[in-house]
Amino acid sequence: MAVFQVSVNGNLRIVDVDPDMPLLWFLRDELGLKGTKFGCGVAQCGACTVHLDGKAVRSCAVDVGVAHLSEITTIEGLGGSHPCQQAWVELGVPQCGFCQPGQIMSASALLKANPHPDDELIDAAMTGNICRCGTYPRIREAIQKLAGR
Amino acid sequence: MSVLVRVTRRDFLVRTGLGTGAFVLGCYISPEGKLEARSVVRELRNVLHEGLPLNNFVSIDVLNGEVIIMAPRSEMGQGIRYSLAAVLADEMEASWDKVKVRQADADGPRYAVGNPNAILVPDASPSYLINDEISQFADSSRSMALYFLPMRLFGAGIKLVMLKAAAKKWGVDPSQCYAKQHHVYLKDKETTHKVPYNHLLPFAISVGIPQMPEIIAALKPKEEWTYIGKDKGVPFDNAVDMVTGKAEYGADVDLDGMLTAMIVRCPVANGTFTSYDDSETRKVAGVVDVVPIKLGEGNPLASMFRGGVGAAFLPHVGVAVVAKNTWAALQGRRALKVEWDLGPNASYDSESFRRTLEQSTASDSDAEVLRNKGDVYANLRAADPGSVVKADYYIPHLAQAPMEPPVATARYKNGKWEIWTSSQGPELTQHYIGLSMIEPDLRKWLLWMAAEPREVRPTEVSEQKRFNKDLAQQLGYTERQLFAAREKLKIEIRDKIKVHVTLLGGGFGRKSKPDYAIEAAYLARKFEGTPVRVQWTREDDIQFSYFHAVSNQHLEAALDANGKPTAWLQRTAFPSFFATLFYPPAPGIDPIFQTARSAFHNGGKYRYGSGIEKAHGLEDMPFNVDNIRIENCPADSHIRVGWMRSVSNIFHAFAISSFADELAVKAKAPDPKKYLLDLIGEGRILPLDNEGVKAFDNNGFPAFGWEGTPPIIQPYPPDTGRLRAVIDRVAALSRWDQRYGRLGPNRGLGIAAHRSFLSYVAIVCDVSLLDTEDKDGKKQLKLNEIFGVIDCGRCVNPDRVMAQMQGGIVYGLSYALLGEITVKNGAVQQHNFDDYPVVRLHQTPKITVDYIQSELDPTGAGEPPTPAVAPALCNAIVAAGGPRLRELPIWKKVTVL
Repeated sequence: MAVFQVSVNGNLRIVDVDPDMPLLWFLRDELGLKGTKFGCGVAQCGACTVHLDGKAVRSCAVDVGVAHLSEITTIEGLGGSHPCQQAWVELGVPQCGFCQPGQIMSASALLKANPHPDDELIDAAMTGNICRCGTYPRIREAIQKLAGR
Repeated sequence: MSVLVRVTRRDFLVRTGLGTGAFVLGCYISPEGKLEARSVVRELRNVLHEGLPLNNFVSIDVLNGEVIIMAPRSEMGQGIRYSLAAVLADEMEASWDKVKVRQADADGPRYAVGNPNAILVPDASPSYLINDEISQFADSSRSMALYFLPMRLFGAGIKLVMLKAAAKKWGVDPSQCYAKQHHVYLKDKETTHKVPYNHLLPFAISVGIPQMPEIIAALKPKEEWTYIGKDKGVPFDNAVDMVTGKAEYGADVDLDGMLTAMIVRCPVANGTFTSYDDSETRKVAGVVDVVPIKLGEGNPLASMFRGGVGAAFLPHVGVAVVAKNTWAALQGRRALKVEWDLGPNASYDSESFRRTLEQSTASDSDAEVLRNKGDVYANLRAADPGSVVKADYYIPHLAQAPMEPPVATARYKNGKWEIWTSSQGPELTQHYIGLSMIEPDLRKWLLWMAAEPREVRPTEVSEQKRFNKDLAQQLGYTERQLFAAREKLKIEIRDKIKVHVTLLGGGFGRKSKPDYAIEAAYLARKFEGTPVRVQWTREDDIQFSYFHAVSNQHLEAALDANGKPTAWLQRTAFPSFFATLFYPPAPGIDPIFQTARSAFHNGGKYRYGSGIEKAHGLEDMPFNVDNIRIENCPADSHIRVGWMRSVSNIFHAFAISSFADELAVKAKAPDPKKYLLDLIGEGRILPLDNEGVKAFDNNGFPAFGWEGTPPIIQPYPPDTGRLRAVIDRVAALSRWDQRYGRLGPNRGLGIAAHRSFLSYVAIVCDVSLLDTEDKDGKKQLKLNEIFGVIDCGRCVNPDRVMAQMQGGIVYGLSYALLGEITVKNGAVQQHNFDDYPVVRLHQTPKITVDYIQSELDPTGAGEPPTPAVAPALCNAIVAAGGPRLRELPIWKKVTVL
């Protein structure tokens, strides 16, 4: 156990946990933030995607110790009316919805860094997020729309 | 129909001015599927203790007018949760801004609507649908088909009650009133005579119960629907929750003091552990206990498992690490050392099993004949060998891999359980937890197979009667006592086990099995009073699925001088999911099992397909050939087998639609789409009973019509005219006629069409083969576009049907291209998405979908999009100059970019 200082969705927290605990479990079990999902545990599926200092990372593969003094944003911290969230609802993107927080965190990070990505860049940025329901066509459409196309 | 009007205790309080109230309108359908009139008004608590099964779908709050509509079926992305509510709300003239949809707990009798055809046609329904163990079971793409009419009737009935209540209030005839969006109006006096539903509740209590004919008359004509059938008409009520992280899935249930468990399971089905060493595990901070799980030990069922595959969804034997949080459980599990006795299935090897299946389909000596027209063997013998085409098609085991791994939470106190589970089958969960935890007597498990003649198909009646008699004798009961014991056990199980259903992060058939909830219930009993969550990892999900059945099919056809087949022989072999579900026969086994209802499993043998699997696109093979023979060859099962999105349609569609294309190529047909349409012939209802098909399981619905069937009830026969129509439409969508054969040497179109779950789908794939090969010498394939059209009768929620088409096509693409589960020494070799890859966004081409506008009753859209994708893709690869692929996954022979 060790003491860390982590800012989550704008709230500064001092916590005492095992430094090896993945950020995913810290967020879900210690902080009770359930929006970030467990899908594979080996950074293959993207369901656990959060922003670490503005960059999309797979929280299952980031130890909480590494997040010391960092700013973490989860799906809960996106605001509720982020353009991605609005586009997702407008186009009826989700089906079961389980992967969508991760999809949105990846998409929002992409659009922040590149407001007008082409299809190749969208593919590259989103390839780490699996959707078993097959909502890919609508995810692509939503990002293209947000990119101004 | 009757509307059972119940007044809650709170409502009495309202009338005495002492508080808020909710008026609950129940609708009653008897086990025979008959809507009955009940003229009972009494306090809610009396009604509950009466023990009457009540369908209770709607409540209206007296004060705020909130309309709570229960969602009986699990929501896993198909949108059924709010689509069914919208059907009821539409007929009821509820205002959606007052509607709140609430997920129903497990309560089979409460939500059992049976087969809607049974409402008006007394002899029509198979027991499978009336069975209140599975009324809430979201499987086989039929929630809308089953509930569309009942929800309409319930909604219309409530509207009628409101109209009569307003009429009573105003002292007018009900025909002078009309309902719109939560209000009743008096014609021509709308400004002064307008009343919201909740204000009418005190009057509603004393109006007469509407009868069936007037409720049917009150159904809206389709032109008046507000939500039903409108593009974007049905509101997606939890989309916002999903995109903000508020939607609650199985693992999100958080209860005070909850422990999390992770289980090390025996890698081989039906193996066990001999010892385990938890010394390192117990050192991990946060680990609370280590608990062995050997369900069935000491239970007579356990002795039957050796040599079989396990029964009744009992979990793999294993050892559970129970901890204060998930991380501790994970680490604790990693530190656990277990010694296994792997058992007889340790010799299962998928590579050699393939040869076993191929040998099985190589001959008809042990085959069961499913369909026979003319004389296929004579025709094949007489044919010029050069005109005969033969092919085997093989698909390996597959894993459903829903995005949310299986998870369930349970709390046990004073002999009762409360369960929270991400499950497609809540009452099935309740039922099997009850059997595992409450009733250890093996023979009483068979009480569920006791059935009255009216509950089974006519073809099953004599077998059923024999079974009832034998079981009663075994238990020392009379037959009346037998059914009384059954009902008593059912009531006990429902009383002791409460099951809540969360949102599912995908199901695809995996979550139709309650094994993980049984694990949670078992551990909860060890920690009385403390909630225990059993969390599966992705490795657990891939390793311990109820896998899609491995399959091999052997097909032969002889072509005449015009290239048309004169004979079609098809043999299929696959381990049936009934080998997993039911008890394997073995020497010395109590003969009671040999007489267990055999309609599903051929006189006690589990080596052949169930009626359900045989009807998955196989018995209703659509081509009009003079000589047809379809046979089911035996296959044993050495691994748990279950359902994956569209189930046996996966391999039957692959073989049938690929082989049809092989015939087109052999016949040098200039246009495979035209060849396919000629193969199908003129639109007709398949005359299956004339061709020897016994008891065709038409997704549980009647296959053929009866005289005098009322117009609002329709049968769903296999209609090749509808298959032709989706082929024509997808051809138009893909501009097939303009483009086929004109795309250049390396680009091609492939087509396939398949009927499943009463719906019809046609798929066209457009692919290009690159000139260069990859570093392994394989051809490289680019997917340009996929087109799909569905005929699922009336689309209640067109947006969701189109979403299911897009998603089902992606799902089909995934196993066509990538997925493969292999088994060595009895253990599954794949673990996670790195070695069991699934399709990602960059591999998904443009997908264009459409649906046929139809006035026919709604049928399924969840599974039908999937089966035709793999054969359409393989056909396209050939059209693009690539090799004919008769096995999946495609990546083994062709690289997909």
